Amino acid sequence: MSRISEFIYILMFFLLLPLRVSGGGIGVPESPLDTVRLGGVSVLGKSKTQRVREGAYSVNAVSITPSVNRLTTLNEIVDRSAGVKVRRQGGVGSDFDMSINGLSGSSIRYFIDGVPLDIKGADVGLDNIPLNMVERVELYKGVVPASLGSDALGGAVNIVTRKHRTGFVDASYGIGSFHTHTADLTGQFFLGKTGIAVRPTFGLNYSKNDYMMRDVEVWDEEAEEYVITDRPRFHDSYFSLIGQIEAGVNDVSWADAFFVSGSFNKVDKQLQTGAMQNKVYGDAARHSEAWNVSARYSKRWGALGTRLTLSHTWDRSETVDTAFRKYSWDGTWLPSSGNEINNRARSRRVYKRPLTVVNAGADYVIDRHHSLAFNYMLNRRGNKRHDDYDKSFEPSNDVVTKHVVSITYSQNLMDDRLQNAFFVKDYVNSTSIRQKDNFTITGAGQIEPDATKNYWGGGLASRFTITAPLAVKASFEHSVRLPLSRELLGNGTTIYPNLTLSPEESDNVNLGVFGTWHIDADNVLSYEADGYLRYVGNYIRARVSEREGMMQYFNESAIHIKGADLELRYVWRNSLTVVLNGTYSDARDRKRFKTDGNPSATYDNKVPNRPWLYGNADVSYQFRELSRLDDRLRIGVSYKYIHWYYLNWEAYGAVESKARIPSQNIFDISATYSWHEERYNLSVSCDNVFDRLAYDNYMLQKPGRAVYAKFRIYID
Amino acid sequence: MKKFKFLYLSIAVIMMAVGMTSCSDDNKNEPDRPDIIENFHFDLWVALDRHGGMGRDVQTLVRSLGSLDAGQPEINFEGTGTEVNSVMSLETILKGAYYYQVPVSGDRFAKYRIENNRVITVAQSRFKTNTYATRKYTHAWTNDDTLVIMAADGEAKKIIWTKLDASDMSIISEGTLDIALPQGAEIFTTSGILNYRRQDDRLFYFYYAKTEGRQGKRVTPITVAVINPADMSVEKTSVCPHDYDMVGTAYGELLQTTTLITDNGDIYLACMNDDADGNEHSHLLRIPAGSTEFDATYDGFTEDGKLISIMYLGGSEAMAYARNDQLGEHIDDFSHYYTVLNLDARTARPVTFDGERLAYSSGRFSSRMAYVNHKAYIGVDAEGTNPQIYIYDVATRTTAKGATMAPGYYFEQIRVVENVK
Repeated sequence: MSRISEFIYILMFFLLLPLRVSGGGIGVPESPLDTVRLGGVSVLGKSKTQRVREGAYSVNAVSITPSVNRLTTLNEIVDRSAGVKVRRQGGVGSDFDMSINGLSGSSIRYFIDGVPLDIKGADVGLDNIPLNMVERVELYKGVVPASLGSDALGGAVNIVTRKHRTGFVDASYGIGSFHTHTADLTGQFFLGKTGIAVRPTFGLNYSKNDYMMRDVEVWDEEAEEYVITDRPRFHDSYFSLIGQIEAGVNDVSWADAFFVSGSFNKVDKQLQTGAMQNKVYGDAARHSEAWNVSARYSKRWGALGTRLTLSHTWDRSETVDTAFRKYSWDGTWLPSSGNEINNRARSRRVYKRPLTVVNAGADYVIDRHHSLAFNYMLNRRGNKRHDDYDKSFEPSNDVVTKHVVSITYSQNLMDDRLQNAFFVKDYVNSTSIRQKDNFTITGAGQIEPDATKNYWGGGLASRFTITAPLAVKASFEHSVRLPLSRELLGNGTTIYPNLTLSPEESDNVNLGVFGTWHIDADNVLSYEADGYLRYVGNYIRARVSEREGMMQYFNESAIHIKGADLELRYVWRNSLTVVLNGTYSDARDRKRFKTDGNPSATYDNKVPNRPWLYGNADVSYQFRELSRLDDRLRIGVSYKYIHWYYLNWEAYGAVESKARIPSQNIFDISATYSWHEERYNLSVSCDNVFDRLAYDNYMLQKPGRAVYAKFRIYID
Repeated sequence: MKKFKFLYLSIAVIMMAVGMTSCSDDNKNEPDRPDIIENFHFDLWVALDRHGGMGRDVQTLVRSLGSLDAGQPEINFEGTGTEVNSVMSLETILKGAYYYQVPVSGDRFAKYRIENNRVITVAQSRFKTNTYATRKYTHAWTNDDTLVIMAADGEAKKIIWTKLDASDMSIISEGTLDIALPQGAEIFTTSGILNYRRQDDRLFYFYYAKTEGRQGKRVTPITVAVINPADMSVEKTSVCPHDYDMVGTAYGELLQTTTLITDNGDIYLACMNDDADGNEHSHLLRIPAGSTEFDATYDGFTEDGKLISIMYLGGSEAMAYARNDQLGEHIDDFSHYYTVLNLDARTARPVTFDGERLAYSSGRFSSRMAYVNHKAYIGVDAEGTNPQIYIYDVATRTTAKGATMAPGYYFEQIRVVENVK
């Protein structure tokens, strides 16, 4: 139940209480005319999540409340949302790639409360953010509000944290298969009468990820041949620690909110495979640490609202590959002539990537129908590299600086039935590239080391409510996305830099209908159907280099994507919830000519190695008052389907020879028991119940059946 | 009983003697170089996305065809051909009916054949002590069944070698070459180039040493190590008298061939240097038959751009794929051409068709040259036209038009593959 609904229920209770009191009052004669008999009262309020959904932008707003008690991650939660697909390379903490309406994960920008998520550290993502600090996740499809100050191309993910005005403690511990443990703690307390709120947050994730790999090759020394067998992963443990403390004040004369925070994040990750599972590692590992200090300030001066965020992050990562060993899936190894990742010299590569972010915004309410907003975002990322072992590695210090300026004009007309937003964005990208190694692969010899380029974008979003059950929304944006540091500069392990990458540009169009139909007091049906077009130039696509066990990002000169997604949500008596969604996405290569100028064979072919048809079904039922008045039991079943797809261009090569990623049919079940007004919560869940072999990426198996349990305590 | 045993031993000795004699007559210890191959087909390798080579990831397709003569429909790969890139690398060794390579898994030696649109694993063996990176090694055949693989190790401080029995890919022996890094040098070339001269039963390994870093500078002349294949001992090293670089030092001869050995035992090595005009120009160097040192007086192909790949045609002729730097140095530039080298006269004659020089082609690491039954098959990927195969008749020195490929593909390789008996 949303906080607004709760509030309205409580309000109505107090409003109706006098009626009951007066009706039964002592000494007052009963009169049939004065008596009101209520068969029941239904008061409907909209949650923040619902209100975001019904805004002008095409957005999925996913409430975390139903999932916060389960041992899961934000990634898994948003993966069940219409038009969204998260492709994982393995188990807990493995690399992932999110697509929204057909544009790949690297086209998506991530924010936390409107500030780039990168400030928490490069290895902080939707996998390791403590769930209990999050209220909802907003998934903007194609058209991204200028207030996010982003150069996102295909969409944006904004994690909205819970904002409490009172003290609380929220703590949880989870345990599960493959030696998985999580512990989260978040809370708020006030320093005496100073009004200073202190908000500590702590999150810990650990997993050995020792799930069974099926049908892998192992060398049989006696028979002198490879045999196919099952073996557990043996070098894939993941440890993540996030700590943050924020302190500040709300509602003082000089600020509506002023908070300073410091955070620390550490990730230790063993590497088990390269970009395909036949590249087995047993010693290589990656470690990262990030420190962040930031301050945020907001103040409304009548019609003028202002806000400012300053942040600096010291981000250091290290990839250790010093063993001259060649591992096999049975855990044995042979001496090798080179390191594990690329058979070269021993390496301990260190990346220092300091990040400075400045986000300043102002909005001015002209009147109740019109407003203006301004936003400026500075994002400066350094990339200083050296190698403690490999003397042949040439240290370098690259810097990528982005400035994004945007102005938005918003209208709210016809008693809120019509909302419009018009915006323009200016992107300035400055690069200073010094690395020169692997120049044939990275293109280091083909670029200007120092360059500054300017790009323009803009768009509009509109929503018109015809009746409550029927509203339409449409939006358009010409967007520009500057390459991520990971795409441009690699990740030091499995992703090569590509210094020649150009920014993506796209014209994004969304058209949708949505509505909520309150059939009667017990039955509510809501729906949303969206169609979208994406005309992308210089589309940045990841390609797996099987030979190297590496990945690299490339520009495709033109990609056109068209698709649709549909979501139906049915609720019966606030107990039974059924959610169905499906997504179809068709991406075509529109590159007419090869790099040498001759016609291209892949013109108008379906872009390979991307899911194009997938869907989810979730059914849950909530029992109340089972053994006590304040308990509830929620049981749920989820089903996920992904249609198979080819690794390479579909039209070429005989079908029997073509590599493909098989279909997935995955069922998950869960049960959550809460008592004492949800102060105590215990959940048990089983993912991949039928233990199906699942791949999101070619030759990178995901975990099989897994059982998890989690206990959460919430004291308000 | 003793008589019987004597008779048995006598027969056995006679049989062994006959067997050894017949081996000698058939030159079974030498790599098979048949004059005419009766049963063979062509494998055409193409890429989508962009040209392959140098670790680039591309979708690679292979289509087997019985003939590359003109008069057949345009060759295309829609719905046909074998998609190989999840198993095999474009950089490969071909002998007879089989492909040999360190496959994409990078943990083994493997022997494949491509048949009925499938890659069939014929044999494979896991690395033992010496390990190699996919595509970064050099090789030579010392007889029909013995394949020698060689490369610098991961730190490029030493040269490792492995001798394989190609029938089952088992490791016969392996070790480290007895070559020390010269003073002032920090690393060896990644793979170097290995070849085998049957006339004196010796392996020739070409390499140099350089400073560290991927753009390290060469600090020694090109050096040739003469190796006894029986025990892989280094019998001698000698240096090139010229200040040249080798055309290829990282990928062996898996994509391009930069050495050839003539019927009489002359060894040629494609080299290059930057001339005063800033362009790369080639130099074809020779180690004469019977010698193990460079012929200081021989410096061929000095006027016509940079040699990319060379292929022996018999007698004193070779086909070369070369690049004219003035027309572009990038892999996609239409600056590459075919020319016939006269090794003795040190002359080059660009290949012509109907009296006109063949169009310039794109594709730097092309192996679009194949020789079989006294004909050279060459592929031209020219601007504004379909990829075209030409057939050069060595005897008549004439060129005929062959099959045409549908547009849109990056034309990578023509391979002559014997049919499995």
